[in-house]
Amino acid sequence: MTARRGKAVAIALLTAALAAAGCGLGPGDGVGEVELTVTRDYGTVPMLSRQLGDVTESDTVMRVLERGTSITTRYGGGFVQSIDGFEGGGGDGRDWFFYVNGLWSPYGAAEYDLRGGEAIWWDYRDWSVGERVAAAVGSWPEPFADGYEGRRHPTAVVCRAPGEVCAEVSRRLREAGASMVGEGDDDAIRVLVGTWPLLAGDRDAELLDKGVRQSGVFAEFAGSVGAPRMRGLDQEGAVARRFGRDAGLVAATRREGAPPAWLVTGTSDSGVAAAVELLDADSLHDRYGVAVEAGEETPLPIR
Amino acid sequence: MRSPFAYTPRPGPLQSASPGAAVAYLGALTVAAFLYSNPIVLVAAGVALVLAGRLAGAHAAVRAALWMGLTLALLIVAVNALVVSRGETVLLRLGDLPLLSNVITAEALAAGAVLGLRAAVVMVAFAVYSACVDPDRVLRALRPLAGRSALTATLVSRLVPVAAADAARLRDAARLRGPAAAPVGRVPLARRLLAGSLDRAVDVAATLELRGYSLTPSDTPQGGALVGRASVRRSRYDRRFYAVGAVVLAAATAAKLLGADAFAEYPAIEVGATPATLALSAVLVLSGLAPLRRPIPQPPSRRTASNFQSLRWKI
Repeated sequence: MTARRGKAVAIALLTAALAAAGCGLGPGDGVGEVELTVTRDYGTVPMLSRQLGDVTESDTVMRVLERGTSITTRYGGGFVQSIDGFEGGGGDGRDWFFYVNGLWSPYGAAEYDLRGGEAIWWDYRDWSVGERVAAAVGSWPEPFADGYEGRRHPTAVVCRAPGEVCAEVSRRLREAGASMVGEGDDDAIRVLVGTWPLLAGDRDAELLDKGVRQSGVFAEFAGSVGAPRMRGLDQEGAVARRFGRDAGLVAATRREGAPPAWLVTGTSDSGVAAAVELLDADSLHDRYGVAVEAGEETPLPIR
Repeated sequence: MRSPFAYTPRPGPLQSASPGAAVAYLGALTVAAFLYSNPIVLVAAGVALVLAGRLAGAHAAVRAALWMGLTLALLIVAVNALVVSRGETVLLRLGDLPLLSNVITAEALAAGAVLGLRAAVVMVAFAVYSACVDPDRVLRALRPLAGRSALTATLVSRLVPVAAADAARLRDAARLRGPAAAPVGRVPLARRLLAGSLDRAVDVAATLELRGYSLTPSDTPQGGALVGRASVRRSRYDRRFYAVGAVVLAAATAAKLLGADAFAEYPAIEVGATPATLALSAVLVLSGLAPLRRPIPQPPSRRTASNFQSLRWKI
């Protein structure tokens, strides 16, 4: 009798311990919605854009993708082979890449756990140059609203432009859901605002000088400090368009292990002001970067 | 105690076939199991091997291999389910545990089952081979290619069962000392076995030397005739096993090209049962009948003849 009671107590304790550790039957409780976007060719061809509301605590990027599309996998289910018939890993140098809240993931889709509220963006594109485009602006208002890699991060505006321009950037960020902090916070997502000569020495901005393979930004600056010139690159990294005097740029980049940095810049103050106007979902959605000149928005890379 | 996998001479076609033919037949089924992940095909290959083993009279070997194979398969299923978090259908959440997956999915269980099934099929194939193919004939076939290796393999294949029997005898002897005697540990038993095996090795080496094994064929009185005598005899069943092996391989290759291996564990389980899959499975199952012995018409028995005679007498 005592032995039986002891066994029952042990089972009850084990069950309680497992429950406390987060164990349970089935996929678990719902954690809210996620946004799933599927595109081709650097976001230029939309394939799917959907809010998925039945996300649970055990869901991953792969499970959500499987729910929204028809996919095949490879390497034991760890990598996506095809989405809706578009096969990656072939001889044409194109494959599927995914971004969560605008950031390229260091984990595979099957290992990326979701917490709800994420913007997941799958893009089928050439990877010869842009193999490691670490950040993109196409998931605005993410990563400012919900952070990245499972937690929220504050946002710091690094202002190298007239005060009213930076104030407008801060206002738009706050409206997007960002929590603003000062420049010194190492954990903060940095938003660099100013003309290119004033930003060029920054630790994040200088990635652009190393080329698209390092920065993941399909634009480059040249010319003198007094008269900078911006050039738009195509997906092979070749110069495809030379912009004029008052061009603006919104792009994102990321150093390894550091928070991402957004560049709101241009070749002149009016170019920067034009770039600030791009900070909304209509202009940025599904874009890796956007250039603007004379009111005309140009997605990057240039096609 | 005799291992269930030990070769037992029987008058069946598989035992009578030359080692090459038996290996071609069993190897073709094993290759099919490695070529395919579709569980229908794997089960068919397993059924064929079980059928072949039973028709060849290797009941104990098949039973032991199935037991061991399915135990191993269960272990693979459990390990795969605990370490792989992929798959759409979450059955159980495990929380955040070090080294382990945080969920158990139906797809990970299915993937483990396929791996385990393949392992079980291969184990049955090796069990049938071990119980039905004479190791001496295999070694004789290999002798022209690698004489020293063949001799070493012969000795190992002979001495390992002898050592196992020694161990069983020693354990029996230890038990017979009575319940009050101190238990014999594994280390003293292993030490005794090692000493015994070294003594036996010296005896075997002396015997081999006396029989002239250190001499090259040209040094022996018979010259190179030894090699000729060691040649492998052909069997009337060889052609059957070579043919069935070739048919299995050809069918497996053709069906693979026709998409018979339609199976995906991830992201969701999909088992394809195309006509090619079913046809290949039928071919595999039928190939398991290859060791079937054709009934040979027997001459009338003495008893029947005497009955006939008594009948005649009565008439």
